[in-house]
Formats: sequence, structure tokens, C-alpha cells
Amino acid sequence: MIENRPWLNLFAHLALILGVAIVALPIWITFVAASHEAARMMQAPIPMLPGGHFWENLRATLFGEGLSGAETAPVWRMLLNSLVMALGIAAGKIAISIISAFAIVYFKFPFRMAFFWMIFITLMLPVEVRILPTYEVVSDLGLLNSYWGLTVPLIASATATFMFRQVFLTIPDEMLESARIDGAGPLRFFWDILLPLSRTNIAALFVILFIYGWNQYLWPLLITTDRDMSTVMISIKQMLEAAEQSPQWNIIMMTALLAMLPPVAVVIAMQKLFVKGLTETDK
Amino acid sequence: MAGIKLENLIKSYGDTRILHGIDADIADGEMIVVVGPSGCGKSTLLRMVAGLEAVTAGRILIGERVVNDLEPSQRDIAMVFQNYALYPHMTVRQNMAYGLKIRGMSRAEIARRVDEAADILELRPYLDRKPRQLSGGQRQRVAMGRAIVRHPQVFLFDEPLSNLDAKLRVQMRLEIRKLQRRLGVTSIYVTHDQVEAMTLGDRLMVLNKGVVEQFGSPIELYERPASVFVAGFIGSPAMNFLPVRVEGDAAILPNGARLPAPARAAGEATLGARPEHLTPDEAGPVAVEVEVLEQLGAATLVHGRLEGTQHEMTVQLDGVRAPEAGRIMRFAPGQLHLFDAASGKRLAD
Repeated sequence: MIENRPWLNLFAHLALILGVAIVALPIWITFVAASHEAARMMQAPIPMLPGGHFWENLRATLFGEGLSGAETAPVWRMLLNSLVMALGIAAGKIAISIISAFAIVYFKFPFRMAFFWMIFITLMLPVEVRILPTYEVVSDLGLLNSYWGLTVPLIASATATFMFRQVFLTIPDEMLESARIDGAGPLRFFWDILLPLSRTNIAALFVILFIYGWNQYLWPLLITTDRDMSTVMISIKQMLEAAEQSPQWNIIMMTALLAMLPPVAVVIAMQKLFVKGLTETDK
Repeated sequence: MAGIKLENLIKSYGDTRILHGIDADIADGEMIVVVGPSGCGKSTLLRMVAGLEAVTAGRILIGERVVNDLEPSQRDIAMVFQNYALYPHMTVRQNMAYGLKIRGMSRAEIARRVDEAADILELRPYLDRKPRQLSGGQRQRVAMGRAIVRHPQVFLFDEPLSNLDAKLRVQMRLEIRKLQRRLGVTSIYVTHDQVEAMTLGDRLMVLNKGVVEQFGSPIELYERPASVFVAGFIGSPAMNFLPVRVEGDAAILPNGARLPAPARAAGEATLGARPEHLTPDEAGPVAVEVEVLEQLGAATLVHGRLEGTQHEMTVQLDGVRAPEAGRIMRFAPGQLHLFDAASGKRLAD
């Protein structure tokens, strides 16, 4: 809007502040709860200002017993598990799908389109639909309670394959021909030309997939029974239910706070590339 | 250095034949321009020489070597593409060096060759820039540089100037010509622009629907076009064609005017007269009803119809002239061409 009316500005700012408040309030309460003693959160009214026990709670949550009376691993261990799983899924998905897209776009082989459609159709089969057979396979392979079991079944990805296919299709044929005249073989072309050209798309996909992996709930819940292998998403839920006494909000909220950090860090770190990867069309 | 030989080169996609047996003998150091309308198969021909398209039948020889089944990189060629096909993530220097690096050339030798090419093309100040930071003309130069550093036996150009604006095109055209002369590398240049073809080529190959219509020097094509197609394609503005009836030594125009027949024939034929070969003459036999004028400064183009008919005619007059529309102008024919009415082939003089 070009007009400059003070009342309109005021209104716009109020609307925005209200929006921010609604979004930020739960996070603020999480932070506040994480900085008080356990008992303080049970008294009404609940505090709206942070208390003085933040570092203490942080230490107890990360390295201590965590929840007293519950059989959960220390939170650093669960964060590590989540991190390994999220990174494994993101890296695995990108690696597998960029290679399959490369095969589908740049090689002529029998049933090429059939393979493409087979990959494409798996879009209709998310983990939740095939969870029992997948569990069967993973358990037969002896992968329960392992990082392999956590990541591999989630790695196959039609979406990412499809995305890379579209990216490769925008790269002009002359690029390939020029590389052929320069004497680059298929793998050389892949490493020297395709990978650098898809760099921003890889970054964008990495952000999306990392968050997807980090937020996984159902699958890790199913295949991890060992408390040392459980992920942070599961343990937050378990913490709420586990203790017989009233929930220890300071620990639970601290865990939630810690669980929020890695996705935020990834988004902030890769923001620039992320936007470029989703919008850039100039090859 | 080496010449190129094409022997009965055929290309088909399924049942569709794109090239119907092309023969050509290109001498060492010669620059051949393949010219024709879009879809005539000229790019396919070039890509077959490059090794980017498989050969259906026939042979391609570079030097003494049959290259039909060799990879593009083994053919000792370099190609300049219409959209340049520079690697966008590499600097100019890396773009030029990439092919040499793959060949396993020593670092020092690569640097020497890149610097040499950069000097020739005046690219020195841009060596560390990315292609997107360059103008169209500079990108074009980088694409040429990438070809030069390889020291190939053959240069292949696939409409390299069609993405440039008109002024730059003229400038780059001259530069390509100078460069090719200087390096003495056998070249094949594909274009649909007949001016580019006339100015660049030692010889022109006019291609139409996968068949060579004529293969010869620019002047030969201009003065003795082998068919109506070549006559209409080479020269600007295009040649005028009129259906005539030949009786003895005379060619009779549709409006009854009689011209001396340029070749021996009988019955129906097609008469060709270039716009620049008609000279104003009050007693001339060709009468044109003027419709539109195009003032080009150095010349004036008169568009009109042959008097009493609907046949369109164009005449080029020197300097600034201003005949009024609707007026009848009379011309004397200079050089005339006679073609067979059915096949369009040139009739012997």
C-alpha cells in the first residue's frame, strides 16, 4: 500500500503483534516452564516470567537421570539418536533419489518409463500404509533397535526423485553434449556438472527432509524398544505419561525446547540456499 | 589438420528419413557453411559429424579416419553451440580448461593454452568471472575459447550467432571468419541466415528437406543457382519468379511481354530475375505497377505487381527514389535465370 495513514499503520502493527503473540506464546511458556523448579509449574497461577533454574534444569535434562522415577535415557542420547536418524534420512534420500533421477533422465534403458512410474506410484504408499510389512522386513533383517532400522525404511523417496528429475530436465541438453565433447563420461558429468548445478536444490531438499526425519514419530515408536535407541520425539510423549507423580514440567519443557533447536538451526543456516533452491530457474 | 569427407550420409528416425545421402568433400582448412530453412536437417548433419547423433548409413571421415563409431571426445573436434552451453558454475578459465583437464593434460600446459586463447579472444580480464556475469558477446567468445584451447582438427558451429543482437552478430561474424583464417582449422558452420552464409563460407551447402540442393562457392550460388529453391534462398531481397512460356528465343511473360530467353527450352518454365538486376528503362519490356516503397537510404525497394497480373515483383533501385504508388515503371532485365517449371531445376544456358 502506498498511502501513509497512521491509523492504518497502527492497525497493521497491532494485527501483526497479535499474530506473533499467538504463535510465540506457547514457546515462551515452554521457555518459562523450563526455567522454574518442578513444583512451581503446578501452582496456579502459572508463572509468566522466567525463573532462576534454567541452567540447573538444562544440566539435569541433558546429562542427569532426566525424569526422576522414569526409565528414559538421558536426553543428550535421545537428541543424538534423533540427529543421526534425521541426518541419515535426509542424506540417504538425497543420495538415492539424485542417482535414480540421473538414471531416469540421462540413460536409455528398457522399461525406463516403467521404472519411473513404479517410483512415482510409491507416492501413494507412505510409511503409515505399509508399516506392518515394513516392520516385518526390518525385524526379519534384525534391524530393530538400530540406526539402520530407523533410517533405511524411510529413505526411499518418490518426491525427491521426482524433484531431481524436474531439475535435471531444466538443464539444457547442450550441457551434456558439451561435456561429452569435452570427454566427460557419465560419472564425470554427474560429479562435475550435475551435482554443482543442483547444489541449491539439494540444500532445499535437505532442509525439508531433515525436518521430516526429525519429526518422525510412528516409525521410531514401533521399532525402538531399547531406551538407548529411542528418539527425542518419542521420549517427550513418554515423559508425559511415564511418571506416576505429577508431570515434571521443567524437565519436559526443557526437552521440548532442546528438540526444537536443531530444525530451527538447520532452517536458519540454510535459509539462503533454501529459498534459492525453490525459486531459482536460471540454469 | 585434416579435411572432412561425407559419403552418402543418411539419417532416419524410425521411418522418417531426415537426410537423404549427403556427399561432401571438405578440404583441409576450408570453411563450409551449411544453410537451409529450419527442419532441413542441417543441425542433424552437424551433430552427426560431432558424434552426438548416430549415423544410420554412410561414412564420415575426418582426415583419413572413419569416425562413425567414435565418441565425440575421440573425434578431435570442438563445437560451439547456439546457447553456448557454458558450465554456469565454473569460471571462464575453468570452462575453457575443463576438456583439457579431463584429457589429463599438465597444469602448466592447460594454463598456457587458456592464456593463449584468452589473448586471441581478448578475454583476459574476464578469466575469473562466471558466465552469468558476462554479456552475450563475451559468452560467445568463451564458447569459442573453449573450442580453441583443444587445438582440434575440426570446428563445428551450430548457429552460434543467432542469440546475439544484429550489430554484435555482424561483428562476431567477422571475428569468426578472421579467427578461422588465422587458425586454418577445417570448419563446418550451420546457419539459417543467408547473409551469414554468404559472408562466412568458402563454400556453401544449401540443404532442403535433407537433400543437397547445391554445393559451391557463394558467388557460384548467386550467379548460377541450381534450382528455384537455391535462387530464392540466396540473395536478399529474394529473386522474383514468374511463370513464362518459352517460344524459340523468347520467354513470354503472363502479361504478354516478351523477354529474351536465357536458356533453351520449350513450353512452360519459371523465369527468375533478381531485384537488383532490373534497371529502370522507359523502353524496357517489364512493366511493374508500384504499390509500396521501402527506403533503405542506399537503395530503394519497389514492391508491386507485374502490370495486368497478380504476380508480385520486387525491384531494387540505387539511392533514394520516389516513384508514386499506382504508377507504372518499366524495367530492362539484366541477368535472367530459367528453371524447369515442374522440377524447379535450372535449365542449361
